[in-house]
Formats: sequence, C-alpha cells, structure tokens
Amino acid sequence: MKKALAVGRKEFRQIVRDRRSLSILLLAPVIFLLLYGYALNFDIKHVTLAVEDRDQTAESRAIIAAFVNSGYFDLVAAVRSDEALVRLMDRNQIRAALIIPEKVGRAVDTGRNASVQVIINGDNANTASAVLGYATTIVLSVSATLQMEQRGVRMQPPVSLEPRIWYNPELRSALFLVPGLIAFIGMITAAVSTALSVVREKERGTWEQVRMAPISTVAYIVGKTIPYLALSIVSAMAIVLAAMALFGLPMRGSWLELLLAISLFLAGALGTGLFISTVAESQLVAFQIVLIVAFLPTFLLSGFIFPIRSMPVPIQLVTYIVPAKYFLVALRGIVLKGVGISVFWPALGALVIYAVGVLGLASVRLARARG
Amino acid sequence: MRRMLFLIWKELVELRADPKLLRVLLGAPILQLVILGYAATTDVKNVPIVFADNDRTPASRDLIERFVGSPYFTIAGVVSSVDEIDSYLEHDRAWLALSIPAGYGQQVGSGAPATVQVVADGSDANSTTLALGYATNLAAGYAQALAATRPPPPSAGRIGAIDPVIRVWFNPQLESKDFMIPGVLALLLLVMTAVLGSMGIVREKELGTLEQLNVTPLRRWELIVGKLLPYALIGAVDVFLVVAVAIFWFQIPLRGSFALLFAMSMVYLLSTLGLGLLISTISDTQQQAMMTAAFFVVVPMIYLSGFVFPIENMPAVIQPLTYLIPLRYYLVMVRGIFLKGVGLDVLWRQAVALFAFGIIILSLAALRSRKRAA
Amino acid sequence: MDAIVVKDLTRRFGQFVAVDHVSFTVGQGEIFGFLGSNGAGKSTTIRMLCGLLKPTAGTATVGGIDVGRDPEGVKQRIGYMSQRFSLYELLTVEQNIRFYAGLYGLSATRFGERKRFVLEMAGLVGREKTLARDLPGGWRQRLALGCAILHEPPILFLDEPTGGVDPLSRRHFWRLIDRLSEAGVTILVTTHYLDEAEYCHRLALIHAGRLAALGTTRELKEVFANRPIIELQTPDAVGVMRALDAAPEVEKTSLFGTSVHAVLRSRSVDPSALVSSLRGRGLTIDAVTAVAPSLDDVFLDAVEKAGRQ
Repeated sequence: MKKALAVGRKEFRQIVRDRRSLSILLLAPVIFLLLYGYALNFDIKHVTLAVEDRDQTAESRAIIAAFVNSGYFDLVAAVRSDEALVRLMDRNQIRAALIIPEKVGRAVDTGRNASVQVIINGDNANTASAVLGYATTIVLSVSATLQMEQRGVRMQPPVSLEPRIWYNPELRSALFLVPGLIAFIGMITAAVSTALSVVREKERGTWEQVRMAPISTVAYIVGKTIPYLALSIVSAMAIVLAAMALFGLPMRGSWLELLLAISLFLAGALGTGLFISTVAESQLVAFQIVLIVAFLPTFLLSGFIFPIRSMPVPIQLVTYIVPAKYFLVALRGIVLKGVGISVFWPALGALVIYAVGVLGLASVRLARARG
Repeated sequence: MRRMLFLIWKELVELRADPKLLRVLLGAPILQLVILGYAATTDVKNVPIVFADNDRTPASRDLIERFVGSPYFTIAGVVSSVDEIDSYLEHDRAWLALSIPAGYGQQVGSGAPATVQVVADGSDANSTTLALGYATNLAAGYAQALAATRPPPPSAGRIGAIDPVIRVWFNPQLESKDFMIPGVLALLLLVMTAVLGSMGIVREKELGTLEQLNVTPLRRWELIVGKLLPYALIGAVDVFLVVAVAIFWFQIPLRGSFALLFAMSMVYLLSTLGLGLLISTISDTQQQAMMTAAFFVVVPMIYLSGFVFPIENMPAVIQPLTYLIPLRYYLVMVRGIFLKGVGLDVLWRQAVALFAFGIIILSLAALRSRKRAA
Repeated sequence: MDAIVVKDLTRRFGQFVAVDHVSFTVGQGEIFGFLGSNGAGKSTTIRMLCGLLKPTAGTATVGGIDVGRDPEGVKQRIGYMSQRFSLYELLTVEQNIRFYAGLYGLSATRFGERKRFVLEMAGLVGREKTLARDLPGGWRQRLALGCAILHEPPILFLDEPTGGVDPLSRRHFWRLIDRLSEAGVTILVTTHYLDEAEYCHRLALIHAGRLAALGTTRELKEVFANRPIIELQTPDAVGVMRALDAAPEVEKTSLFGTSVHAVLRSRSVDPSALVSSLRGRGLTIDAVTAVAPSLDDVFLDAVEKAGRQ
C-alpha cells in the first residue's frame, strides 16, 4: 500500500509539473461546457425559406404569412422562377421552398380543393424531418383557418393530442447534452492520461525500472491510476457545478449517488486507458487507439447524440460494451428524473462489471509484461 | 529541395518499421466508418410508447392500433391506470405515454371532440421533439380519416381544403445515413490526420533528434513540408479507403466527380495536418501535442462545423467563429459532391477558403518554430 | 586564422545568467576541452556556437562566420554530436548514414567514400542492416560521431560525447578524435570527466557561467608551481585532514580516492616535519609522497578561486 502511494505521489508530481497538460485536463472541460452549452442546439428554427407565389391573391398571401408568423421560418427570397429556386437550393441558401400555383385563392373561394408545393432541402435529414412536420402543420392549419373565415364554422378535429413533457418541460437541448458532455470529457481525460502515462515510460526507456521495481503489479496500477482518478473526478464535478450554475441543470437526485456513478464510470475509463497502454508501444499508437476505442464510441454510440434505438440491431449490440451508455442512463436518472439506485442499479452494475473487467485484463497483461 | 526528399524518405522508412502504427492508421478509419456510419443516425425509429387505456372500447383500441401499425413506434405496454405510466418513463422503458381517458369512445361516437393526453420523456430533447411530432401527425391523420367518415354538418356547404404536397430534394427517403456518412468520413479524416500531424515535430523534440536536425542545413520550411508530405500520403490512402467503404458498403450515391472529391480532400488534409503540425511546434511533449490536438482542434470542430448541429441554429455570436473551421467548408463540399453532384462552379468558394487556410496554417507553423531558440 | 573566436559571449535566461562574458579562441586542428560540472554553462555555450541558441550579448566567430548574425551560414561547415547520440532508432545503421548524408547534400560518389570511411571507423562493417536501437552503447556513440563528420566539416562540436559508455569504448573514441585532429579538424569537446581532459591540447574551465581558467594542461598546472602537493596514505583520512587543516603551512586539503591531498603554502614547507607532527599526535601515516598536480586539483582550485570572487 505504501509503495502504491509512492508511485502515486511521483505520478502526481509529474502531472503537476506539466502545466499545459494539467490546464488542459482541468480547464478545457469547463471552457467547452460554456462554448457548447451555448452553441449547441437541436431546436430547429430560422429555417431559410424562399417563396414562388404564382397566385398573388389574398389567400396565397395568407399562406405565406402563416409560414413567416410560425416563428420557424425566415423568409429570405421571393422568386419568380423555378430555376431560381434550384440555384438557391444547390447553394444551400435555402432549406425550404414554397411554391403556390395559380388559382389557389379561387379554388378555396369556390369550394374546390387545391394544393401547394413545399420543397425541402433533404441534405440534412434531421432538419428536413422537422421542417416537413412544420410545413404540414402550417398548411393544414391555414387551410382550416381560411375555411373558418369563409364559412364562420368552427371545425374541430375529432381527436387531438395534448402534450405534456416531463423532466425537461421546455425541451431545452442544453439540459440533454450536458450530461453527455460530462461523460465524454471525463472519458477522454481519464482514458487518455492513463494510456499515455504508461506508454511514455516505454518510450523513454524507464520501463526497465518499472519492471525491476520491488512493487506488485496491483500496487503499481493503483499508484498510477489514483492521481488521474482524483483529477478526473474533480474535473467532472466541476462540470456538473458549472452546468448547474450556467445552464440551470437541475439536481433532483442524490449527490452521493452522483459521485458514485461518476467514480465508477471514470474507473472504467482509466482501466480502458491502462489496457490500451499494454497494447501500444508508442504514444502515437496509444492515442489513436484511445480515439477509436474510447473517444468515438463515447461520442457516437452512447446515446448521447444519436438515439440507440434507431440504430441497426448489430450496432445496438455493440453499444452494450460502451460504458458511457450506462453512465448516461444513471446520470440522467439522477439529475433529470430524480430517481434513485433502485431504478438504475442495472446501469451501475454494468459499470462495475466493465471497470473490473478492463482493470483485470490490464493487470494481467501488465503483470506478464513485467515478467 | 533534395534535403527534403531525404526527410520524406526517412519518415516513410520509420513508418514502415512500426507495423502497429501503420495498421492503426490504415485500418482504423475503415473500422470506425463501418461502426459509426451505422450509429450516426438521427432518424427516430422504434420509439417505445406505453398506453394507459382507461376506456377500453373499440374506439380506444382503434387508436392504439394506429400506433402499432406505424414503423416509428413500438408498443412498450398497455396498462390500465395512469400511475403505472410513471414507472415506464422512469425506467426508460417508454419515451412516450398515451393516456386515453374513460369516455373517449362515447365522445368519438357522438361526434364531440375528444382529447388524449401524451406524456413525453423530455430528457432526450431532440428525440422527444421528433417523436411528439410523429405522434401528432399520426393523430392528425387519424382525425382526418375519422372526419371523412362523418357526414358534414348541414350548414357548412362545400368546403375546400388545402393540402400540402411535400417533396424532399437530394434525399427523398430522408435517410439520414446519406447525410451523416459523408460527415463521418470528414470527421474521421480530421481526427486521424490532426493527431498524426501533431506528432510530427514534437516527437523528434522528445527523442532529441530535432536538435540534430537543427544543426544541419535543413531549413525549417523544408522540415514542415517534409513532414507534411508523407502524412498526406497516408491521408490520401485513407481517403480512398473511406470513400470506397462509403460507396460500396453503405451505398451512398456519389453523384459528383470522384476526382474533385479526392482533390478537395487533399486540400482539406492540408489544413488538418497543418493544424496538427502547428500544434506540434508549440508543444514540448507528445502528450501535450496530442491532447491539444484532440481538445482544441478536433472537439471544437466536431461541434461547430455543422456536422450534427446546424450552424443556423447557433447563437449569432458563435456563428462567425465557425468560419474559422476547415471542417465546415469540407462538410459542405463532401455532402455537396455526394448528394447533390455539384461541381467546382458551386463549391469554388469553399475550395479557396480551405486552400487559403492550409497555406496560412503551414506558414504559421514554419514561422512559429525556429531552428535557433531566441 | 583561428577556427573559433569567442568574445564576451553571454546568455541570460530571464534573471539567470547561464554564460557570463566568456572569451577564448581555438586554433585550427586543436582539441579544445570545455571542462565544468553540470549546469556550469558548457552545453549552453556550445549551442550558441552551433547556431542553436541566440546569444544575449557578445560575439562568436566560427570558421570565419559570425554565428550570432548568420547562424545558417555555419551549418554546412560544422559537425555536432550531442549527449543523446541523436540517431533514429527505427532506422538501420546504413539508413541513418544515408539520411544525414542526404541532409548535407553529399554527391553519390562522395557518399560512397564517406560511408565506407564511417563504417570502418565505427567498426560497423557487416552490421549495416542493424537497427540503431539494437546497437550497444559504444557502437552507437561511434555511429553518431560518424554521422556528424560525414560531410567532412572542418570544425566539430562534441557535447559530452562519452556519457554512459564503457571505459574501453571511451579510449577508442578519443583515439578517433586524435586522428581527426591530426587531419586538421578543429574539435571543441565538453566533458565532466577530468581524465579525458588530459587528451585535450587546451582547456577551458567553466564554473557558474564564467571562465575560471584557460590554457594547456601544463599551463593550468602552473598555478601549483609554488604550492607543492603531497599525498598521504592513511587509514584515518578524516582525522588527518582535520589536523592538517589546522596547520598554518597547509593551504587546503582534499580527499583523493582513499588518500589525502594537501596543498602546501610554499616550497619551503618540509613535508617530513609535517608528518612527524601528525604522527606525534597519534595519527597513523602509512606513506607520504610528493605528487604532480592533477587536473582534479587544478579544477577544485579554480572553482574555489572563482567562488571567492
């Protein structure tokens, strides 16, 4: 135990002396939180719209007004030809185009059906789906309003939905993304630092000393990882506090459970880094592997940005070995839903299994490397 | 000039002598693209929805059937009381909960308007918005069908309705895959080459050979370019590999010219490698270089380039910043060439921007690191 | 024309003065040694002379070129070997040689000749395809030297070239240096091994950034012309030293291996009288001899003097 502390102390001193790396580890997360929390937004607004109004009647203008007043669309151009629309679409200067053919106004007046065309720029499928929904709703409601004005009749749909949103009533993306960011940054900090730390010894030639040292592999591992664990927990808690202060991230659950979840997750991350360090010979290779195995999966496979349920089944299976996925479940549960361990214990269990597994593997490999 | 060729030769020899590295540099992008190409989807499908049916009439069952039949939803369960819904949402077993009140069937039968409550799990705002949208549209369609089966009120007269006819260009099936995968391609290239570039100079610094190079007549710009070219070669191979995977494995249509795509990718690599090299010149250790590259180059680029989050939605103060991000321009180009089949006549602005970027960054790298310490 | 002319060369790092107004010259073909403990300023000086570090003040002319103003100009005319033997681990012996030859622009024919020369000199004939990282210490050292002289530079800078190398290899290395010097190459070498200093034609002793002494080994030892040194063999070195320190005829004492060196204040001091008085006090003296001053003594003396200023 004492030896582990000695290793840990030396490691800590090395960390502190490398000012720049240290500042990256501690400050970068908070800075990014600021930047991304404010910049990231899933809410689809300011959809650039061009209009080609071939009708030019009160009714057609009412339709255009409905789009503009909806708050989702920004009217950027009124054109007179289809070619102009094509040009604007190609250059991504508009995301949607509304084409109102002639005789729409007259059709409504005389009780006949008519149609308007909405062309959506599909190159961003995410926005396109949302725009499609907006456009449909707007046209349908304009249609109903025009009819009401015509007939003075109240037409109510036989069935309508009344939505209520739990946990995040204003559907603020920031609240959703922040937990993911915590996972992401914590993973990178913990995994990368640990991976590089051991590989550096190999590269610089001090590995021989490590092999000769009269210290058990377990004690060495403990000593090596404790400083990084401590640092990344501090980092993660700093992010949580910053998010609460700046983005109104709520805290509806227990702080203790939060700390537990964060520690378990970071322990797994450290283990990942350690394991990678036993596989790589140079720092560059170690880093690239961390990117593939930790960085990108955490970003893309944890459900942080892309919903897992929408992925093809084989990929969904892969997500079972991404610890960030479980961490997110626990984190959202504690912070947003206010539930306790009784609800998300399977996620914590998975984190424990992962951490133990990866640390165990790393220990075995390290012990073997030490001969 | 000749000196530089020797440097390039040395880099290639070193690369060949480290097979693990080579495997990672060439194999990783493919592996990543395959897994992540599938994962990077913003389509919302299989939304788990739970129903609390307090009515239990043919009418309520009819409504439920509508959802069952839709590919967007999977039924998580049908319960009989509202309280049971809580546990579904808490345990993430359902995202939406539809609560059909008692008396629903009667209201619908008598022609009175009925309201159904839907509760959504807001912790995943994006998916929730979309899921709610689907649900609303589904209900609206259902409502219209119901209305069509009823006789119109006598005082109404003939009513003309306006229907929206919607067409989606470039991506008619709204497959986010076609949109995402070129993006993932760009992302992968960025990640690999920025980190690779960041090792360029600092590795020699750490191992002590940089000093030796400084004593020789090798000029600084010769060193920078000499490091750049071998990495660009690897980058070029990577481009080939990932484009091949995108086209043949993921069946992403390449509607534009491959030559243009390749050329623009190389210009893009100029910037990413350049950024890596610049970082290399200001770092003392490999660890610093790689972490700086990852945190201050790659991560900001992912978020601010329009890869997932549209730039139009960002706050006005942030938007000008995005002009400094090479990935932004490359994304427009790669998506344009794949999905729209556009050419240089449309993309020339992006090409110029990327090229200028690359040159500026490389010059900065050459200027920033001097052979003689001041 | 002198190969290297240094005048008032100074280098500051913030408040810290690493090299403080150092002046010396090195003639062509000389082996010039830079002696000093770690941190004395040797490496900093060499770096300035190679164009790796900008001087804060003063001038340095290498091969006729003002290095301070034109650092690039000297690069083709000097060779440099650092403590770390900067070789590329993943490259073979042959590839390292080819690389550096390429950087110096050697033509094909010249490359062939020089490569043969270096391989022979380093004793690496037959091991061309060995990876640099698999070479034992002595061979790496010689390979590094070889790479530094591929382009036949008239001036060679060696910074602690024998660190971590076995004594036999060190001796071999210095023989190579000698041969180069005989062929007319000017060599400036830094070292903290005093025994190696004996191989140099002239020496500069550096302490705390300042020149503490300068001259041939003989000239340097002149400081002891009127201060003879005696060596005493005794089982109780500490006691003897203490007793001698108290004696007025003795200037200073130092431990030399297991024996004691005492510097006497003048030639007129009688060593045997000193010894009798020591024996009289009960101390055992096995033997006493007059010894020629060694560079060790010179160095300690110079450092002490510099410290007093």
